[in-house]
Amino acid sequence: MAKAFKYGLKGITGFLEPTERELLRSLIADVISMLQPEEREGQDPLAALIGLDMDVVEPTDRAVRRLLPNVVKDDGAASLEFRQLTERSLRETKIGALRAAALDLDKDEIVLTTEGAKHWSAALNDVRLVLAERLDIRDEQDAEHVHLMQDWSQAEDVESYLALVYNFTTWLQESLVQAMLQSMETRR
Amino acid sequence: MTISVAPGPDTQEGTRTGTAESTDTLAAPDIPWNLVIWNDPVNLMSYVSYVFQSYFGYSETKANKLMMEVHKKGRSIVTHGSKEQVERHAVAMHGFGLWATVEKASGTSGNSGQGKGKRG
Repeated sequence: MAKAFKYGLKGITGFLEPTERELLRSLIADVISMLQPEEREGQDPLAALIGLDMDVVEPTDRAVRRLLPNVVKDDGAASLEFRQLTERSLRETKIGALRAAALDLDKDEIVLTTEGAKHWSAALNDVRLVLAERLDIRDEQDAEHVHLMQDWSQAEDVESYLALVYNFTTWLQESLVQAMLQSMETRR
Repeated sequence: MTISVAPGPDTQEGTRTGTAESTDTLAAPDIPWNLVIWNDPVNLMSYVSYVFQSYFGYSETKANKLMMEVHKKGRSIVTHGSKEQVERHAVAMHGFGLWATVEKASGTSGNSGQGKGKRG
C-alpha cells in the first residue's frame, strides 16, 4: 500500500508500491500523449520555437479542452487568438511537470523539493482532470458517486476500475497538498 | 509592473456623481480586467487554496475565503489588473489546472469577492 505524502525533516516524502508506480507512470504517459503538440507540415519553425502557433484550433477532445481551457468565456474568437500565442508553451509547461513526476517514480520512496512537489501536484491534478472527463464527472453529485467506489474487489468493469484509480489519485494529491501547505506554513 | 497609473475620469476631483467607491478607485486606478476562477467538481479545495497562497502570495485566510467563494458561488474574481497582467495569471492558473478566464470589469456585475474588486 502507498503511504500518504508527509512533510518532515527530509522535506516532502511519499512511498508507492511498484504496481502503483506503474499505474501512475502509464496515466502520466497518457496525459503527455494528449498534450503533445501536433507537428504539422509547413509550420514556421521560428514561430514554433518562440511558442507561437497560428494554426491552432480549439481542442475537440473534452478532456484536452479542460486542460487547455478557453481564456474568455463565450468568446471563441478572442480565446483562439490567445491560444495562438500561449497554447504551445502551456502544453510544454504541463508536459514538463508530468515528465518530472514520472522521473521521480523510479524509486520506491519519493522525496520532493518544493519545486518537485509543485510539479507533482500539477501533474496529479491534470491526471485527475482527464480521468474525471472519462468518468463523466460533471458536478459535485457525480464526484460523490464516484467517491463511494473504494473497494478494489468491486472493480468489475472499466468504469469502476477508472473510479478506483481516480479515487487513488485524489487521495494521493490530497495528502501531497496537505504536506505542501504544512511546508509553506513552516517556511512563513 | 507595467500598469498605467493615469487616473480615469472617475478619480478626478469635482466629477463625483455619487459613486460610493471613489476611495477604492483612487487606490486602484485603471485596472479594468478581472481574473475569474470557476468551480469544478474535480479540483481539491486544499489545492485551490494552495495555488492562491503560493502563486498570489495570499494569506491562508484570504485564500480560503476566495476558494470557498469559488466552491459556493461557482466563481470568484481572485485578482484584477491590466489585460496583459490577468492574461498572464490565467495561463499560470491553467498551468496549475485551475479553470480561469479573463473578463473586462463591468460596473453592473457586482459579483466580486473583494471589496476593491467592485469597481463602479
